[in-house]
Amino acid sequence: MTTVRNEFAKLRHLHIGAIAALLVAAIVGLTFVGALTAATSNDSTVVSWALPLAGLSLAVPIASPLLIAVMASRTVEVEHQSNGWLSNQTQGADRGALVRAKLVSTGLVVGGATVAASAAGVFLGTAIGVDQPLPAGLWLGYTAAAVTANLVILGLHLLISARVDNQLVALGVGIVGTVIAICASGFPSWAAHLTPWGYYSLASAADYRGEQVVTLNPSYASIVALGVVGAVLFWFTTVRLDRQEVRA
Amino acid sequence: MDIVRTHSLGKRYDTHTVVDDVNLRIPEGCVYGFLGPNGSGKSTTMKMLLSLIRPTSGEVEILGMSMNHDTRRELLSHIGSLIESPPGYGHLTGAENLRIVQRSLGLHAAQIERAVATVRLQEHLDKRVKNYSLGMKQRLGIAMALAREPRLLILDEPTNGLDPAGIEEIRGLLRHLAEHGVTVMVSSHLLGEIDKTANMLGILSQGRLIFQGTRDELFAASTPDVLIDAIDPLRASSVLQQKIPVQIDDHTLRLSGIDDRGTAQVVTELVGANAGVYGVRREDQSLEDVFMNLTKGGRL
Repeated sequence: MTTVRNEFAKLRHLHIGAIAALLVAAIVGLTFVGALTAATSNDSTVVSWALPLAGLSLAVPIASPLLIAVMASRTVEVEHQSNGWLSNQTQGADRGALVRAKLVSTGLVVGGATVAASAAGVFLGTAIGVDQPLPAGLWLGYTAAAVTANLVILGLHLLISARVDNQLVALGVGIVGTVIAICASGFPSWAAHLTPWGYYSLASAADYRGEQVVTLNPSYASIVALGVVGAVLFWFTTVRLDRQEVRA
Repeated sequence: MDIVRTHSLGKRYDTHTVVDDVNLRIPEGCVYGFLGPNGSGKSTTMKMLLSLIRPTSGEVEILGMSMNHDTRRELLSHIGSLIESPPGYGHLTGAENLRIVQRSLGLHAAQIERAVATVRLQEHLDKRVKNYSLGMKQRLGIAMALAREPRLLILDEPTNGLDPAGIEEIRGLLRHLAEHGVTVMVSSHLLGEIDKTANMLGILSQGRLIFQGTRDELFAASTPDVLIDAIDPLRASSVLQQKIPVQIDDHTLRLSGIDDRGTAQVVTELVGANAGVYGVRREDQSLEDVFMNLTKGGRL
């Protein structure tokens, strides 16, 4: 708990809040543009919740991977630059314990931003004139799936940033992840399962079928599997980091 | 009582031996100067003392307890350290950095205040660490190490990169800490930097501890060259060359590594050969010369 409190203290002046706000703004902005374009080009007078949901399902994979990579990188880079790993080890906090604490602190920020963006989608739907009852279960399910995918990707990036001193590598992986996340909606289902970024498409709650926007059932089982496998791998990797010797 | 003892401590990476059979004995309350050229294994040894690196052989004993995974956390609460570059998050102020240490170690505010006062950093606590000079960063690092009020302080080359005033300030600080009962182990590759502060010396060369003891013991253990003045140095040289390597400098012969008995024997032979011996003495040696000779040859 002390390590987590310290990680929150270290977030000061790192502009993590500003990057999280940018993540929310990017998701809401892209959702708004997508929903508004579809609403104005659609002849139908009825605007459904599928529109903002489809917008969210498209915006989250576009905006999240790179901004999460930036947040993870900034959080970890300070340890590389300040002899922080070694200093913490001499205070009894090993490298893996620090990375786990960073997942909690930065994860709360990322999770909060994802929930905020999803909640903003509800306001957006109301703003563009959706007057049907809100599909609360689907909305909550999608939000939980997006949070899970984002946290797994955050965990992956924290590990990459901790292992590789050069943070350009981590940011490069973030860019590749963005490309995969955007393209994954066109992948067959099995291919989307191969990388963590592919799971954004499996979490989609709505999509375009020709001119129509339809709601979908997110692949909850796949998302739960991603969460469980991600958590187990993260745990084992950080335990290995705990046992790692410093350089001679 | 020895606060640190190591028993045949060693570290090997594949076939490369970095530290070999090191038996440290650091008495409580002393300033222990840990000397050796760059790459001699000083940092690796210090990291093994702090359990940051696992030894491939031997054992570390601190405060009478074996340092291992189970005892590490307990022992580290009594050991302050400054290893490699000074710690401190550059984006945070000195005060924010110290609050992190305070929380990590569960310290009282008064302990932090005392540590800050010891290194005289009070006026710079609200500055971000990235704007600190190297000397200020070192002082912050030492304050972070001192905050837990350690019984043992391990400092790895704390004067690296400091100007003469900064070096003198660190020396003064080490003396102050020793006077207040803190055992200090400080490494350096320059004898002059810690010669005036340390009352015990350990010299490491190529991973082996080639000397351990006081300054006077170091002088006594070294054997300066014998210088013999002779009227006919060429004759003297020809007499000795079969037995001992000789260097001639004008009318003076230089003989290395011979003890008093050997010196007497050489003089007898030269007198018998009518070489015209008119002076015999040992070369004056500074402690720096002793250190250089030791570490160059990896021997005592």
